[in-house]
Amino acid sequence: MKKTKIIATLAGIACYVFATPVSASDTLTIYKFYCAQCHGLTGKGDGPNVTKDFPVSPRNFTDAAEMNKLSDADMKNVILDGGPSASKSPMMPPWGKTITGEEADGLIKFLRELCKCEGKKS
Amino acid sequence: MRVSLTVTIFTASLMAMVSVSKADPAAGQAVFKAKECVACHYTEGPAKEKTIEDQLAKKGPELWYAGDKFRAEWLAGWLADPKPIRPMKFNSLTEENAGDHPALGAEESATVAEFLMSLTSGEVEAGTVKVKKNSKGRQIFTKKMPCSGCHQYTGRKKVIAGGRSGPSLVDAGVRLNADWILAYLKKPEVFKPVKMMPVFVGLLSDKDMANVASYVGNFKPKKKK
Repeated sequence: MKKTKIIATLAGIACYVFATPVSASDTLTIYKFYCAQCHGLTGKGDGPNVTKDFPVSPRNFTDAAEMNKLSDADMKNVILDGGPSASKSPMMPPWGKTITGEEADGLIKFLRELCKCEGKKS
Repeated sequence: MRVSLTVTIFTASLMAMVSVSKADPAAGQAVFKAKECVACHYTEGPAKEKTIEDQLAKKGPELWYAGDKFRAEWLAGWLADPKPIRPMKFNSLTEENAGDHPALGAEESATVAEFLMSLTSGEVEAGTVKVKKNSKGRQIFTKKMPCSGCHQYTGRKKVIAGGRSGPSLVDAGVRLNADWILAYLKKPEVFKPVKMMPVFVGLLSDKDMANVASYVGNFKPKKKK
C-alpha cells in the first residue's frame, strides 16, 4: 500500500515536472476545432451556434473589461468542468474529458493574447 | 377501405421479398466505388483519425459503421433524395451546407444502402434503448448538458431550436438507430476518436446516456391527425 502511494506520488511529480507546454500552433488548432463553434474564429463570441435563439451570449474573448474579471484559474475551471462549475450556463461544455490540462493552459494563454489582458490575480 | 389496406400490405410484403432476394452488399460496394463515394467517405474500420488534422482532412463522415448508425428504411430514401443533415458544410464553421450531395438513382440507392447497412462495428448492442418521450433525457439534452448548443432539434410549438455546428437532430429518430446513439456516447473512442463534440464519458452515467439516446431516438415527425 505504502509502495503504491510512493509510486503514485512520484508519477504525479514526474507528470508535473515533465508536462510539455502545448505549442501556440497546436493551441490555435484546438481553439478553432472546439471553442470557435460558439466563441467564433476570432473570439468575439459569434460562432455559428450563436443564433438569435441561443440562450446565452458566449464570452467575447476580445473584451478586456469582461476578461479581466476572470483569473486564469477561473478560466481553467470553466474550460475543464463547464459553465455550471462557476454558476454559468451549461451551454459552456465541460471539456475536461476531451482536452488535457496542458491544452487548457495553452488555451488560457491564447485567450489572454486575444483580450490583451492579464486577468484577476487569484 | 379494407381491400385497399390488404392490397397495400400485400404490395409491401412483395416489395420486401424482392428486396431481400436482391440483397447484395458486394453489388452496392461496386456502385459505391464507381460513383466515387470513396473520395469523401471511408468504409473500412476501425476509426483512422488520431489528430484534429486527421479529422479536418476528411471531406465527409466515415461510414464504416453505417449499419450500426442508420435506420435502413431511411438510408435508401436519403441516398436517392439527399437533403442536408448538417446546417454547415462538413468540417466548416464558416460555410453553409450547400446541399449538393450527389443523388443516386432508385435502384442504386437501394443497393448502396444494402452495402452500407452491412457495415457494422460489433460494438453496438441491439435492443438496449427503448425509444420514448424521456423526460430525464430531455432535461439532460436541453438543460443539464450543452447538446442543444450544437444540434438543432424540434423544440416547443414545433419551432426548430438549437445550434448549427453539429449534425441536425430534427427527426433524428427516423435516421438514427437509438442503440447506436448510446454506443456513440459510451464509446466515442471507437466511433469518432476526434470530434468537435465533448466526451461525456465520466460526466454522464450509462443510465443518463441511455436516457439521452431514448429521447433523441424519439425525435420523429408528428403524425398528422
